[in-house]
Amino acid sequence: MARRPNPVAASSYHLAGITLSLAFLAPLAWAFLSSLKPAAEARQPPLPPWPTTGVTVENYITLDGYGAGFWSHASNSLIVTLSTVVLTVIISVLAGYGFSRFRFPFKGVFFIMILSTIMIPFQSILTPLFLILSKAGLQNSLAGLVMIYVTLQLPFSIFMMRNAFDAVPIEIEEAARVDGASVLTVLIRVMMPLVAPGIITVAIFAFLAAWNEFLAALIFLTDQDKYTLPVLIVAVRSGRYGSIDWGSVQAGVTVMMIPCVILFLLLQRYYVRGLTAGAVK
Amino acid sequence: MSATDPSAAAPRPARAPAVRSGRRRGSQRRREIAGLLFILPAMALVVTFFLIPLCMTVWMSFHNWPLMGAPRWTGLDNYAAMMKDRRFWNAMNFTVWYSIVATIAIFGVAFPLALFVERTGRATSFYRTAIFLPVVVGFGSASLLWAWLMNVDSGLFSPAAQALGLTERPVNLMATTDGVFWSIIVMVVWKTAGFTMILLMTGLQSVPHDILEAARIDGASRFQQFWRIKLPLMKRTLALALILSVAGSMLAFDQFYIISNGGPRNSTLTAVYWIFSQSFVSFKLGYGAALSMVLLVILVVISLVQLWLLRSPTGDK
Amino acid sequence: MFSKLTRGSVIALAIGMGTAATAQETLSMWARTDVENFLPQVVAAFNATHETQINVQFIPPGELVQKFATAAAGGSAPDILSLDLIYTPAFAAAGQLADLTDLAQALPYFDHLSPAHLQAGSYDGRIYGLPFSADSSVLLWNKDLYAQAGLDPEVGPTDWDKILEQATAVRALGGDIYGYYFSGACAGCNAFTFLPYIWAQGSDIVSEDGTKANIDTPEARAAVELYRSLLAADAIPQGAETDTGTNFFSAFASGNIGIATSGAFAIGILNSQYGEMNYGVTYIPGPDGTPSSFGGGDNFVVTAGTENMEAVGQFIDHIYSVEMQTLMAEFGSLPVRGDVAEQALTGLDARYGVATDAMAQGRTPSTVVYNDIYNSATGPWLQFLQEAIYGDDVDEAAAIAQETIQMILDEAN
Repeated sequence: MARRPNPVAASSYHLAGITLSLAFLAPLAWAFLSSLKPAAEARQPPLPPWPTTGVTVENYITLDGYGAGFWSHASNSLIVTLSTVVLTVIISVLAGYGFSRFRFPFKGVFFIMILSTIMIPFQSILTPLFLILSKAGLQNSLAGLVMIYVTLQLPFSIFMMRNAFDAVPIEIEEAARVDGASVLTVLIRVMMPLVAPGIITVAIFAFLAAWNEFLAALIFLTDQDKYTLPVLIVAVRSGRYGSIDWGSVQAGVTVMMIPCVILFLLLQRYYVRGLTAGAVK
Repeated sequence: MSATDPSAAAPRPARAPAVRSGRRRGSQRRREIAGLLFILPAMALVVTFFLIPLCMTVWMSFHNWPLMGAPRWTGLDNYAAMMKDRRFWNAMNFTVWYSIVATIAIFGVAFPLALFVERTGRATSFYRTAIFLPVVVGFGSASLLWAWLMNVDSGLFSPAAQALGLTERPVNLMATTDGVFWSIIVMVVWKTAGFTMILLMTGLQSVPHDILEAARIDGASRFQQFWRIKLPLMKRTLALALILSVAGSMLAFDQFYIISNGGPRNSTLTAVYWIFSQSFVSFKLGYGAALSMVLLVILVVISLVQLWLLRSPTGDK
Repeated sequence: MFSKLTRGSVIALAIGMGTAATAQETLSMWARTDVENFLPQVVAAFNATHETQINVQFIPPGELVQKFATAAAGGSAPDILSLDLIYTPAFAAAGQLADLTDLAQALPYFDHLSPAHLQAGSYDGRIYGLPFSADSSVLLWNKDLYAQAGLDPEVGPTDWDKILEQATAVRALGGDIYGYYFSGACAGCNAFTFLPYIWAQGSDIVSEDGTKANIDTPEARAAVELYRSLLAADAIPQGAETDTGTNFFSAFASGNIGIATSGAFAIGILNSQYGEMNYGVTYIPGPDGTPSSFGGGDNFVVTAGTENMEAVGQFIDHIYSVEMQTLMAEFGSLPVRGDVAEQALTGLDARYGVATDAMAQGRTPSTVVYNDIYNSATGPWLQFLQEAIYGDDVDEAAAIAQETIQMILDEAN
């Protein structure tokens, strides 16, 4: 589709593109810049957005004074997120492989059952989830939260993985099996590398979902030492001695954003692929 | 017939085990068990953390079920109380209204954006990334960020409007329902338009080039190409994006809890917020379950509409 | 009932958590952030002299009830809490609190403990909560601003006309300076500071026996009218309407507010952190000057099933010691032990006298549905205030509140 080069159209296109990009990036930049202001300046309206009375990490240090200290909450978030990613990948690879390559009774029913969970919002089953976690001794534990996050990721992830395995020609597997490899060896040695892009997609989605989740963490974690970052920062926002420290809130928002942004920029290809794979089906 | 569908490219092998069928019965039985074992962990999680809670929700909705203490069977009492619960129906109305407005706003922004970033090139790919970036930031972070921008004393919107001479006095956006509502709409559009944009863009790109080429040769204008050819061909993508947006909005919680606390005057309470508040603040788990049932029915209906809209096209065009 | 399961999961958690609940050595304690001004010192003093260590966590006041209830139901509740006294009946009724009756009655100074706290801390004739911190609602006025506005800086407002008059005079200074402040979107703050305006007229929003809603009354409307006229006089800053309590204290401390409703706690924070502030303390008056106050504060409660009762007893002795009562008074919590109150307050700011008086006359609502009616951000009390004060239709606001509160009461009784 050759377009006739038209310098006016081209430059107005890029002008619009740059304006749009700035508009969408501005709030993120605003939060980041404000987090670098001294606390007193951060209380003032962010005009101009950049620090005018010196750049400082003061807000990040103050943030560390909330709850059990910044690192302990950041590591809660990391533990929850990484466990969710690892478990989601393992379970969905196994299930995706099972659904793609094996025949067994009620296969269709099981597959639809897993996929249909996407239709029902987990928000509507919060209370029984709470009771089940309580009885299992998993309420107020990071492990319990991980279980829920993994379950929430399963429909999308299994769907992704099944498609990924379906796309691998059966002959490759047959050849490996003729050489006498066991089912698991075939899966790990032969198939995994071939579906790696799918695994990355599943992992990114699980990471972002777990890192950012707020409602379940708010309800299921009661012990302050266990708060994940979103719950902590919301508590920071509710203030101390009857006043809000906006500088620390911005520092918290920045810290929560950075891993997501970096991860996305590095792996954006896979993210968009996952999105479109789900979209076109 | 989409190019990105991997299963279309490769025949589904599991359904054509012709090679294996000649082998021994025992081997086939072993493979059945192996298959079941592969899906076992997933099934266990889905049953424990999804199916059982789902059944429990139904069961609990017929009880007076305090957070602490023994539950008591009360039949349909919760449902009767729900009918009279003014705050719940207000919340429901608000949620529906919010979903409609948010969806229209998101599409209104995302569709032009999708057309804008559809072409190739380094610069375009940069624009695409920039517009998409807010999507990967969580709703929690985005809401905290917005709560600050909306703050009348330390935020951006009101002081900026004053500095630009648009308003004479500080305007407290949080004070009026409209202020809160439209600010949150702007936030949601900012945060999710990129997502819808990518979906729609995929839809646009999946329209086969030869069809467009043929239309161009027949003298169709750019607008006609879009309206008559692209739009009908991307019906399913459109339906999917629409459903995702509506369902997501119906379940809104984070932004209203963090930014407005449901205020002013409970006017921005959403359905999920009210369920949370009844269950975990007022400790009426049974009643919360009954409210959840309503939400659940609505979302299942939306999903069924989705299935209907996304059903395999009866005749390929 | 949950008890067996709870016990099981407590053990499971103790193993899982490692540090926080190694039962005998450490007591875990929760408190709302409002007491962060003095509790750390009290606990530090205890930890320095006792083998058992107390580990405190501060929870935002709006989240404490939800967190504690969820934790209790889930078997992960802390051992002890400093719990807003109005919640004691609800949690005692649910069987989540340990019976402290014997422990309490064995205290030699039992008869001198704050009766308001004990009353709120009792359920079914047994004592579940002991007085811990006390706070009464009062009015603060900024003497410097009064002087600038040409008012007598030594005399605060004594009735409603004076409030309006003086707030308007301070507002006339212009700019960022306003006459009056309240946290318009904070349910708890207004139970604490707005209810007294209604009580001072001899009325209450719930009938004495706790069965009838009584908010659609001339008295409630009159109090609302006071705020409406303050608004009409432009005496209240814009931010007040949406303040969820985050500026409840800091608005006045900023030095730009003439009069603010507040509590005794503010005296402690103002003196310890805003030394240069020149302010006065007076009673919250009725229209004709009759004073009224909300007797608030925290009860000390123990979660049912806590095993280390010996350490609990030690901590109780500790908090009721003269030293600790004095230390807490210094940071804004009124003494809860009558026989040493005078001693604890000696040498402290004379303004505490007003707050102590107010506490003595203060009222405390006692109901198991306190949270649903008053304190919840989505409850009828806050909705009524916002609609009546900032809305157009006071009649409708009152009618809706009346109906909603009645519904909550009917359900509870």
